[in-house]
Amino acid sequence: MTAPRSLLRVLGSAALALALLLSFPLVFDRGTLNDIWNLAFAVVLASSWNLLGGFAGQVSIGYSAFIGIGAYTTALLALRGVDPYATLPLAAAAGSLFSLIVGLPTFRLRGPYFTIATIGVSEAVRVFAAGVSFTGGSSGLRMPAGSFDFGRNYTAMVLLAVVVVALSAFIRARPLGRALSAIRQDIDAAEALGVDSTKYKLGIHALSAALVAVAGSLFAINFQYISPGSVFDFRLSLTIVLMPIVGGLGTVAGPVLGAVLFGYLQIKMLSMPALRDSYLFLYGALLIAVTLFEPKGLVGLFDRARRLASRSMKGPVPHAG
Amino acid sequence: MRELFAVLLNSLLAAGLYATMSYGLAVIYGVMRIINLAHAGILMLGAYTTYALFSRFGLDPFLSLLVVIPSFFGIGVLLYVTMIRRLPRSETGASIESLLLLFGVWLVLQNLAYAIWGGDTQSILTSYTMKSVSLWGVRVGVPTIAVFVASGVSLVVLETVLRWTDPGRAIRAVTQNREAARMSGVNAARISAIAFGIGTAFAAAAGSMLATLFAFTPDFGRSFLLKSFCIIVLAGMESVVGVAAGAFVLALLENVAGVYTSIPTSFQDALSFTLLVVALVMFPQGLLGVFSRLAMRRRRLT
Amino acid sequence: MPAEPILAVRRISKRYEGLVALAGVEFEVARGEIFGVIGPNGAGKTTLFSCLVGATAPRSGRIYFRGERIDGLPNHAIVQRGLVRTHQIVRPFREMTVAENVSIGAHFGSGKRRRKDAEERVHEILTRTALSGRAGALAGTLTIGELKRLEIARALATEPQVLCLDEVMGGLNPSEIVGAMSLIRAIRDSGVTVLMIEHHVHAVRGISDRILVLNFGRKIAEGKPAEVMRDPEVVKAYLGEETTVGA
Repeated sequence: MTAPRSLLRVLGSAALALALLLSFPLVFDRGTLNDIWNLAFAVVLASSWNLLGGFAGQVSIGYSAFIGIGAYTTALLALRGVDPYATLPLAAAAGSLFSLIVGLPTFRLRGPYFTIATIGVSEAVRVFAAGVSFTGGSSGLRMPAGSFDFGRNYTAMVLLAVVVVALSAFIRARPLGRALSAIRQDIDAAEALGVDSTKYKLGIHALSAALVAVAGSLFAINFQYISPGSVFDFRLSLTIVLMPIVGGLGTVAGPVLGAVLFGYLQIKMLSMPALRDSYLFLYGALLIAVTLFEPKGLVGLFDRARRLASRSMKGPVPHAG
Repeated sequence: MRELFAVLLNSLLAAGLYATMSYGLAVIYGVMRIINLAHAGILMLGAYTTYALFSRFGLDPFLSLLVVIPSFFGIGVLLYVTMIRRLPRSETGASIESLLLLFGVWLVLQNLAYAIWGGDTQSILTSYTMKSVSLWGVRVGVPTIAVFVASGVSLVVLETVLRWTDPGRAIRAVTQNREAARMSGVNAARISAIAFGIGTAFAAAAGSMLATLFAFTPDFGRSFLLKSFCIIVLAGMESVVGVAAGAFVLALLENVAGVYTSIPTSFQDALSFTLLVVALVMFPQGLLGVFSRLAMRRRRLT
Repeated sequence: MPAEPILAVRRISKRYEGLVALAGVEFEVARGEIFGVIGPNGAGKTTLFSCLVGATAPRSGRIYFRGERIDGLPNHAIVQRGLVRTHQIVRPFREMTVAENVSIGAHFGSGKRRRKDAEERVHEILTRTALSGRAGALAGTLTIGELKRLEIARALATEPQVLCLDEVMGGLNPSEIVGAMSLIRAIRDSGVTVLMIEHHVHAVRGISDRILVLNFGRKIAEGKPAEVMRDPEVVKAYLGEETTVGA
């Protein structure tokens, strides 16, 4: 597929999806729209993480740090009178900057060691945010009154979600996507063919972090109140990782599927008191099941089912979305 | 001067526990190149098991070690046989799949604890929990001393097992040089199962001991996990002595930071996290092998 | 008029965990040569290649490529300058197709091809390495012979001036070896200088303009094949090895 054609395809699908989602407020009630906002939020997190974790294969369990950075950047600036939506580019920049600070020393590490380092960094950030006064300490920050407009919030989050997924699809089809895949599969072999792996890792990390930071900003705008516990949460980092893994690491559809699944499950579980505290078990069991039985996640399951069902091959099996 | 001595003594006492805690992680990594995130869950479960034995049967926490260690050895072997063995093998080193799998196990263990014991903070109060003695002029809690003694004993027993039993020697051989060990006929599956059992047993033992010193919840274990990583990264995983040395270094740093600077305790956790990242970055390749390689050049390889 | 060597290696040394891998190795390669590198197992041949392309840095010594000093540069930077190697144990990207594998070299190598340009380059290379029929196949499904050719194809896609082949004939049957030899000659004829590590001494002797012999990390001979094979040091090094040298 040549670049112009793939770009058109992606843009076309994105426009359609966006149109559909933007028509929902005409049909659904506020409660459902809230759920969709949450699902869109999850999709942004999962798909953005997937750029680094799935495409490039660098698993970071510290992404809640970027949500927090975005949220706090927006909240702090809003409290000084800046229009919240105008803070988004700054939040993105802050996220990217922090990703460089984290990435430069840690990308020298391979595989699981990188992952552990990210856990360490993320925890350090959380402790710092809770301890420092200008961030409001552990009691958090409240957005200035009168800045809430659900219509705008809904549109923004839905737009971001469509943009992130479209971006993923686009990157995947381009040489950049192949370079990232090469880095994931065999980083030394990639280097041996001229791929500057560090540059690409840092770059995709920065992009991914920027997107997540913007999501964090939108979170602050929509929920009006943030605290280190809510935005720098380790469990949130974990959920961000689990969604693409369960859905299908490294694919475009996988993170979306995983996000929708988790979003749906969370909504359902929160409404059933008996299951409310069982989410840890669910996450853990899913993680175990995926690693042992179907490392390609839901997408892998669908692929398997499809191959079993079809009697004639329509062509080479499309590899992962 | 007195203050310095107090710092040293407290560090030493803490080091024993840290060493026990870290060794569990070290042996699993050394033999299988697996980073055991479930270590935190086992620590926690060890604490809760001791608590259960104490509150139900009045069993002294230190005596319960005699129950905890063998049963968790069994649990470790079971974990290995049912799950770890089924993972895709990676010859080139640690794999992300094992990391994620054990993460999943950790989460399940946490939920198990929440389900059985609830999320409230628990603690173990024995007749001697509040007592303290004066050691060379420094006031030290009785549980702290008991923990140090228990750690010391278990580490000595471990060292003996490693040196004088066949499985023990095999474990050391595989840790030093996997290829050579495999070629000389070491049964990889059996040794891995034993190593995983030992690792789990030690984690649980450490958890039991921690329960006598700290209050705990099912979320307990995360900061200790990170401290353990820190220690094995600094110290190498090959010898018990090495781990003990690393444990002492970390304990010393924590105590020094606590006494001589005004950094609050919560920041001390950030200290070990930062130390971990720094250590990982400084030894990115065979991070745990640097010291053992240095040591190897000095002694003859058996 | 002696042309400047395209590759000049000045007394490089390398140690791995206390073991000497290379010690004071020094040689030059002229543009357009096929330069063979032979030696018993463990002689340091692959380590030499690793140092040349920057996969690892020599402990001491210098390496000059087209007059520029390159030791210490990272792998990708050296590939961008036109020096690339294949791996003795093939390292294909198994989850990508053959064409996609080769395209990595085309996009990110020294040619830095874009879009249609890259597609053409990939197509051309697949034809030259007899892999066109497998262009859409996943690399994980290839036979060893095809994988060896893929290694070469990927490296060629980077448009190198010097190509270092590490035991590309290992595991090939006699007819495949003949095919490999003619491919290597064709590569040289297209303007690429070739270094090749090979255990098949006959093949190397038949195709190389000059040969370097390593043993225990040291150079023990360098020169035209016939002279090198007669060198008593070389004969001694190979004594006891399966491969007979013969005059």
